[in-house]
Amino acid sequence: MSLLDTRERKRASPTPPRAAAHPGLGQRIRAAKWSYLYLAPMAVLLLAFVVYPIFASFGYTFYRWNGIGAPGDYVGLANFRQILHDSIFWGAVGHTFVYAFVLVPVQLLLALALALVLNNPKLKFALFFRTVYFIPVVTSAAVVGVVIQLMLANFGDSAGSLLAKTGMTNGHIDWLGNPHTALAVIIAIGIWHTLGYNLVYFLAGLQTIPAELYEAAKLDGCGPVQSFFRITIPLLRQVGVVIVVLAFIGSFQVFDLVQVLTGGGPYFATEVVNTYIYHLAFGGSAGAAAEPDIGLASAASFLYGLLLIVFSALQVLALRGISRRRAAADQ
Amino acid sequence: MSTLSQRPRPRTRLSLRQGRRGLLYLALLGGGLIWLYPFLWALGSSLKSTDGFFSGGLNPIPSEFHWSNYSEAWTQADFSRFFVNTVLFATGTVIVTLLATSMAGYVLARTEFPGKKIWLGLVGVTLFLPHGYTIIPVFDLIQRLHLLNTLWSVVIVQSAGGMVFGTFLFMGYFTTIDRGLEDAARVDGANFHQIFWRIMLPLSGPMLATVGLFACINAWNSFFIPLVFTLSRPELHTLSVGMFNFIGQNSTAWTLVCAGSVITLLPIVLIFIVLQRFFINGLAGAVKQ
Amino acid sequence: MTSSNVSRRGLLRTAALGAGTLALGGGLSACGSGSPSSAADALTYWDWYVTQAPWVDKEIELFEKAHSDVSVKKTTQQNAKYPDLVALANRSGNPPDVFMIPQVPSVAEQVAKGWLHPLDEWATPAWQARFPEGTFLEGANVFGGKVYSAPLKGSGPQLQLYVHHGVFKSAGLTNPDGSVKLPRTWDEVTSAAQTITKKSGGKSYGFGFGNADGIGVLAWWLDLFVRGAGAPGGAPTVPGTGMDYRVGKWTFGTDRAYADFLELFVEWKKRGFFHPNSVSLSDEAARAFFERGKFGMTVGGVWNQPEWTQHKFTDYSLVTLPSPTATPKGYYYADPVGNGTFAAVSAKSKKAHEAFQWLDALTSPAAGRRWVEDLNGVSAHPANNNPDGIDSKPFAAFIGMTEQVLRGPVPLVRNPELAGVAPSVPKPDISDVVTGVYTGQIKDVQGALSSLADKKYQLLSDAVAAVAKQGKKVSMSDYVFADWDPTKPYTTKKKA
Repeated sequence: MSLLDTRERKRASPTPPRAAAHPGLGQRIRAAKWSYLYLAPMAVLLLAFVVYPIFASFGYTFYRWNGIGAPGDYVGLANFRQILHDSIFWGAVGHTFVYAFVLVPVQLLLALALALVLNNPKLKFALFFRTVYFIPVVTSAAVVGVVIQLMLANFGDSAGSLLAKTGMTNGHIDWLGNPHTALAVIIAIGIWHTLGYNLVYFLAGLQTIPAELYEAAKLDGCGPVQSFFRITIPLLRQVGVVIVVLAFIGSFQVFDLVQVLTGGGPYFATEVVNTYIYHLAFGGSAGAAAEPDIGLASAASFLYGLLLIVFSALQVLALRGISRRRAAADQ
Repeated sequence: MSTLSQRPRPRTRLSLRQGRRGLLYLALLGGGLIWLYPFLWALGSSLKSTDGFFSGGLNPIPSEFHWSNYSEAWTQADFSRFFVNTVLFATGTVIVTLLATSMAGYVLARTEFPGKKIWLGLVGVTLFLPHGYTIIPVFDLIQRLHLLNTLWSVVIVQSAGGMVFGTFLFMGYFTTIDRGLEDAARVDGANFHQIFWRIMLPLSGPMLATVGLFACINAWNSFFIPLVFTLSRPELHTLSVGMFNFIGQNSTAWTLVCAGSVITLLPIVLIFIVLQRFFINGLAGAVKQ
Repeated sequence: MTSSNVSRRGLLRTAALGAGTLALGGGLSACGSGSPSSAADALTYWDWYVTQAPWVDKEIELFEKAHSDVSVKKTTQQNAKYPDLVALANRSGNPPDVFMIPQVPSVAEQVAKGWLHPLDEWATPAWQARFPEGTFLEGANVFGGKVYSAPLKGSGPQLQLYVHHGVFKSAGLTNPDGSVKLPRTWDEVTSAAQTITKKSGGKSYGFGFGNADGIGVLAWWLDLFVRGAGAPGGAPTVPGTGMDYRVGKWTFGTDRAYADFLELFVEWKKRGFFHPNSVSLSDEAARAFFERGKFGMTVGGVWNQPEWTQHKFTDYSLVTLPSPTATPKGYYYADPVGNGTFAAVSAKSKKAHEAFQWLDALTSPAAGRRWVEDLNGVSAHPANNNPDGIDSKPFAAFIGMTEQVLRGPVPLVRNPELAGVAPSVPKPDISDVVTGVYTGQIKDVQGALSSLADKKYQLLSDAVAAVAKQGKKVSMSDYVFADWDPTKPYTTKKKA
């Protein structure tokens, strides 16, 4: 303490002393100046490159514009009306929700299980296994796409002939080309591709749980299952909520994988919202160059964002309701 | 007598544990092979001839080893220059991202200030909103800042994309750290800066590694942003942009693409291996001190 | 660990790191200009030619030898992103000196927005005379009387049916003299597919394609088979095309040919003639499978050939316009609009004179002949389209087919003010409909065809109305050519 110089002693902590009951706004701002400074870099980048473009894009939704020069053809709400009436849009929304609601629980359970296994300090070759399960995350979607397509085509050959011998199906199944199976296959590949992210999050989260707790529990006679439910789950809850939310948001924004594997086909059977928007802006699904329609794409983007916000608000309300009920039950 | 009765028990317990562990390793290995199979296929394909790529079937092992694919990918796509560009770009992005998001995450999780609720709301909402559809507003902004066609603009725009996720993660993480530490430090006379840089930030090792790793991966694989912001200076291209040189209108040099993606992905794997210490042998114990 | 020193040290450390990165970044942006062909005299050129790159590179070499003071720096951009990148480059005020004209926005708009440099200073009538008559067309490459571009490619039949010799021979589909029996009618195609599928015992199929990348492959099948059946509009995917000009409408729903072929198409699928993975294969993988004889017939265009030739696979033949009857009732029609442009000089170029010289070199008859010899396609200069001296038999056959391309009605010739018309693309478009019919997702085929035809007509009307609002004298009647006989060449007359 004697090493501190007086200047630093004068710099108070950010929270104002309890003695002053209700300090004025100006005073509070001044007291919190370091908070603002530390917030500033993120705030500047966010406002300039994320929030501003969102507002600008919102402006575009009222025009028919191909991206050249400045928008000039005002169409009012016509773009929104067109999207709302497009059955393919709603189909895409449906597919995206199915994708997210199947992928997130399955992938997170797998990732948690793997994290628990790989977190064990007594596991040999843990480093090797962690790397192995992580690698798909780093492989680019383009490569994954062509590899999977060819693998399925060839696998279909062998699996198909196997199944044909048992008499179950008549030959070859085109996994990605059959509208009934394509989405399921894409979900499976999605789970495989991004599991590494959640594995890392869970591993990091498990670090916040001190090892002593487990040892104490073992001394008390707790089995592994009990310590999992009594120690791991409750202590992971904070980080867990973040992981779940991020996982959902990530799945709602799926694009690369679907675009590369099926392009939304066949006949929109696997179209998700981002491929829908992409096709709007890049000339339909025929690939023939057509004028981009930035206004329409932005309108679709906004409608989808609204849907997601409503959905998340409902989620938050539901979670709050559950925790309120639990708190009430605890009393 | 007591030793005689005790001896068989440790042995059975040991062999059971060994058996279960052996099974575990087997499962992990088997699962791992299946898990890695597409990647192994791509790896094998990077050594195949173009003909072998399509006719090899499910077999990842090439019939002949075309090591030349790697040298071809390296020279044809000017990979050495792109490699340096990508390293600079990724490093810059990671530093900017880690600094900005850890500071903001800390402030939002642990301090009080007027307007905090507004910022929390903003970060939350931006998480869900689609990030506009077109690159044009950002492009115009960068142009007005006279930063077009520099690596700096790529770093800034790429980092901006990671602001919300990173802040969210750090926020979540800092909330879990025991308040007692902060209070104790404050009692000791530590100021705002010291609390953050000497206590909170070091404690967030796992999150630093996580956010840093993902910022690095996203930057490394980022394609559109580096392409657009270095339009007139092709010498500033990054690896993923360079790889797209292999993709033509009707056909693609797939074996070269595979070789290119192996080259592109190896450094990330190495970084992952290095950073693993932070995920695993973290400073979990330090929290209780 | 003392307090203030450490925190300051920590801050300094990060600042130093940041400054270091800044310096490096700045350094890098500066040192980028130290490349061998220094920015001062290099002509920047953008294209999207990957498989045709050898031809471009050779032209660059020849050009630089002939013009010692000019060098050309080529950047090949990805085809899918190309229009975006050119738009952004123009937006940034720093476009390349010469660039291949992107397919969107319309050339009319590019001229209106001041992207392109008029070439009349050098493209004198004498220079223009090098090209065949009618090459320079107001609304295609001439705007407001000024020339902006010249063509590289000519018109060949867009699509053909490719027949794999090996597969056909193994199935016994040969003539008495041992040559492959090429199917020319719908019935012959059907029976060939049947024979192949039956005789190969599951190893080979009659047909195959690769529809995964969404480039509209299945529209090709419809287009190729339907023309000969008397639907002269075919089923092209370029927006605003595919009308039956006799009535100025899309006749998907009214012309029996479409529904008839789709019925046959589904029939083929039900009888198992198609390679089962066709819907999920990429077009490129399908080409590779064809090479390996996994199926006997596929539909594609001349772009298939360079890849197969590179792999030394030339054992196939081309058949164009298979029809229900022996002689086709409709053909492919030359596209002066689409083929009229290739590359242009940027309005912002500071080296317009050299840029024109490069453009001139690329579109010269000599370069055109090298284009043909490299098996890239048909040249705009008819004299180059001579099969003699072409090693590849299938390519020579393709070149020989240029006579099967007739002159058809060109609305733009009749009324150049149509130049700015840019209709949107309906969703689903014709290739989606064919896919949906193939997979069975579309049950009401006739309904889907009719509603698509109506939608396309509506979109074109809207686009025409938008142009009319700008004061131009355009209308939907500009697209009606009641006196057109699709089996004979037609000369479009300018509107009085």
